[in-house]
Amino acid sequence: MPRVESKKKTRKTAEKKPQRVDEKIMEPGKYEVTDKTTFEVKLHLKLNNRRWLVMTSAGKGIDSHKLIFRMWNYDEMVAMKKQATSYDTTRRVHIIDNDALNRLKIQKFLQSWTLDSDNPRLKLHRVNGVLTDESWEMFSKLQPNIINYIFDGMNEVYELNG
Amino acid sequence: MSLTAEQVARREWEAMTEPDKVKVKVRVSQRGNVYFPDPDGPEEEEATFSVFTFGDNHVIDKATRYEEDAGDRGDSITVTEPNEFRRLMIKKNLLDWSLGIPIEREGGWMTPECYERVSRVAAPILDAFLKEFEAKSGITEEEERIINRQSVILFSENSRGVTDACEAVSLFCTLGNYWEKFGLNRDALAYIPQREYLLLKMMIGKESDSIKTKAGRKKKTGGTRIAGPGGRTRPMGGTRIPL
Repeated sequence: MPRVESKKKTRKTAEKKPQRVDEKIMEPGKYEVTDKTTFEVKLHLKLNNRRWLVMTSAGKGIDSHKLIFRMWNYDEMVAMKKQATSYDTTRRVHIIDNDALNRLKIQKFLQSWTLDSDNPRLKLHRVNGVLTDESWEMFSKLQPNIINYIFDGMNEVYELNG
Repeated sequence: MSLTAEQVARREWEAMTEPDKVKVKVRVSQRGNVYFPDPDGPEEEEATFSVFTFGDNHVIDKATRYEEDAGDRGDSITVTEPNEFRRLMIKKNLLDWSLGIPIEREGGWMTPECYERVSRVAAPILDAFLKEFEAKSGITEEEERIINRQSVILFSENSRGVTDACEAVSLFCTLGNYWEKFGLNRDALAYIPQREYLLLKMMIGKESDSIKTKAGRKKKTGGTRIAGPGGRTRPMGGTRIPL
């Protein structure tokens, strides 16, 4: 009697699935934003008649400070701009509220500053990677000319490519 | 940066033979530990997008629309969220790039895992690529101005064509004529011998001139009117019926 040979079992498990490319490349690429992708905004202040003036460079009698910001990645930029964008029904255009956007940038990306070196009250506190409301309050109590200078320096990098 | 003739020719050939792809280049430079787009930067990065089609626009526009309260009038209007629109352009159209993050696609879209890595790229870099892509997908104000001016000349009554035709006029006339007469579409046209193209173009021109001459003659003869009483040729005033 003819015998029918049973089919040889193919061992599918032995076939290795090609490894995912993003698993292969573990290190972030040079254009990817990490916690180390930061930039500085330098601040030079001089006291004049109980008002702080922002100076263009360091010098005698001038307090120099540094603010460290983290670069934003594409997803963060889209999410923030979405939050700060509203629609003007009269002019029928989308408008970005720059004040709201600046606040979001400070809260999310301001990592540290040296303004707290001689005043512990100005220490920045973060929860889940975002500045606490108290820290924001503190920031907003700085002189308006200082705040505007920080915004300009920060936006020169975020919006105008440095 | 000035391009050599060969570079221009290669770019144009790619655009002609791969009309479904758009290549954009961005020069970058490093400041500190951050990379920025910089027209004078030492490095050049390239990205390939699939051409932004009417279908892409339709789908993405539909997906990013939302209702906005129109205020006092009480009705609502539908608007497109511009930030989300641009994000979907990347997911739908980015095919490949030189940035070191492999682009994985499935079902015509970037996979969520891939987008997760792509979205971690510094915003100014990705934004610069997107701006270049948008510039190649839309029509600038300057182009629109030229189209308006040349269209007035092209479609005027005694038009003899347009000298130094812009891309819109050239596309409209070339593709229209060759498709209508010989059934040659844009893809086929790129591969017909130049001599044949020139011969056919000459014949189309001759035919167009002939039609115009005939139409001119017809107009002159068609204007003949039979003079009425008093030699006047004005139309009849109509019969007045008393009520």
